[in-house]
Amino acid sequence: MNYSALTRRYFDAAVNAGVLTGADIFRGAAGSRAQGTWVQFDVQVNSGIIRAARFLAFACPHTIAVSAWTAENAVGGPARAALPESVQALSERFAVPAPKLGRLLIVEDAWLATMQAAAAAIAGQHGTL
Amino acid sequence: MHRPVYLDHAATTPVDPRVAARMAQCLAADGEFGNPGSSSHDYGDAARVVVEEARAQVAAAVGAMACEVVWTSGATEANNLAIFGVAHYYRDYGRHIVTARTEHSAVLDPCRELERRGWRVTYLTPDRGGIIDPAQVAGALQADTVLVSIMHVNNEIGVIQDIAAMAAICARHPHTRLHVDAAQSVGKCGVDFSRLGVDLMTLSAHKVYGPKGVGALLVSRRGVQLSALQFGGGQERTLRAGTVATHQVAGMGTAFALAAALPQSEGERVASLRERLWQGLAALGGVLRNGDVDRSVPQLLNVSFEDVEGESLLAAVRPHLAVSTGSACTSASQEPSYVLRALGRSERLCESSLRFGLGRGTCERDIDTAVAVLGHAVSHLRRVGGA
Repeated sequence: MNYSALTRRYFDAAVNAGVLTGADIFRGAAGSRAQGTWVQFDVQVNSGIIRAARFLAFACPHTIAVSAWTAENAVGGPARAALPESVQALSERFAVPAPKLGRLLIVEDAWLATMQAAAAAIAGQHGTL
Repeated sequence: MHRPVYLDHAATTPVDPRVAARMAQCLAADGEFGNPGSSSHDYGDAARVVVEEARAQVAAAVGAMACEVVWTSGATEANNLAIFGVAHYYRDYGRHIVTARTEHSAVLDPCRELERRGWRVTYLTPDRGGIIDPAQVAGALQADTVLVSIMHVNNEIGVIQDIAAMAAICARHPHTRLHVDAAQSVGKCGVDFSRLGVDLMTLSAHKVYGPKGVGALLVSRRGVQLSALQFGGGQERTLRAGTVATHQVAGMGTAFALAAALPQSEGERVASLRERLWQGLAALGGVLRNGDVDRSVPQLLNVSFEDVEGESLLAAVRPHLAVSTGSACTSASQEPSYVLRALGRSERLCESSLRFGLGRGTCERDIDTAVAVLGHAVSHLRRVGGA
């Protein structure tokens, strides 16, 4: 399979791969290694703003690239229940083939789970990690 | 221009320059360009001499008689001719076929087509090393079994089947023919058609530094009959109609002659390189070797990487290495290898498996590059995946 230059760059570098530790860290994940795609995000949220983000992905190059881009571009923005770009926009940005669009939904689910964890904690329903 | 290290010789090999030179002689106006079927002039006679020389070269390389060589367009056509040809010719004797789950798709797909036409097919499952016990063949034979088709060297994991033992079993059944797909065998391990005692054997040129587009089916003179699949000229003892491509078969003949002349030390050299590759990969941890190592050709190594997603692994190494996830004929489908699944590997491990095909041009530096590239890729992907 051929990949766009942008996909290749984010896949190869994966600069925000990893986990966060410390205060105000929230985590969410989606997918399954057994099914071939699993994504996890860690975000640090302070005053409603995402201060840092990391990801882990057991996934194809497109999924890794989109996860890496999401972690990079979410920083500085509000902790809200939406990806920095829609799944459709991301699929076009990274030239994701149509049969693989379901994998981007796993990225979105992982992100939503992360934001829900943050929202719940901020609302005082749960603690941070 | 930077080119990735080529470690996919099981898919195909570059044409040996001596083969290319021989082929070129058959194409130009001052060479043997004539139609080998033309008997009314010297041009046809000259081409016919080339074709028969090539036939003798191929036969000599695999212990067959020249008259047993039937030219085809490649191994796929040879497999089709063997399977459909036997099935149709012997259909009044029976409609049962025995083969293995780990055969090439060029054998499995014709068998499935025959199933659709009313034949019964028994698919043998190998042990975890990829080996079919000859006793399994014996146990699968029925009164109406007309064909057993088992490959000699597996194209994905390189294991060698005990064909001689299977031939001895089939010989006890007068209406059962044994076909062997030996497309991966020549140049990798010894092949002796006569001594093995098989009825039909498939050969390919492009796995042996010959050209693509040509192969052969060996048809034993010991009373084996086939129905032809194509008509229109009566060439190749009426088994394969169509003008014989002089330059192609000349290339195959030269390639087989060169393979037969390889010193034993070449096999030892490649075996040493494969061991170097395996030791380097094993040191990464979480790497599993596929196939019975004690019964495999030295040119092939198939390994599974734990905690690594398959497509990402291939993408990570692609700029530096030319390897495959399995048979070149099925990897385009991006389905997990059915060969590895037949060996009991999980779907995830099948997806994260790579086949390394070493060849005559492979050197220590190539192996060390492969180990370094894979070391980086596996480490990177395990880190990204949180393993």
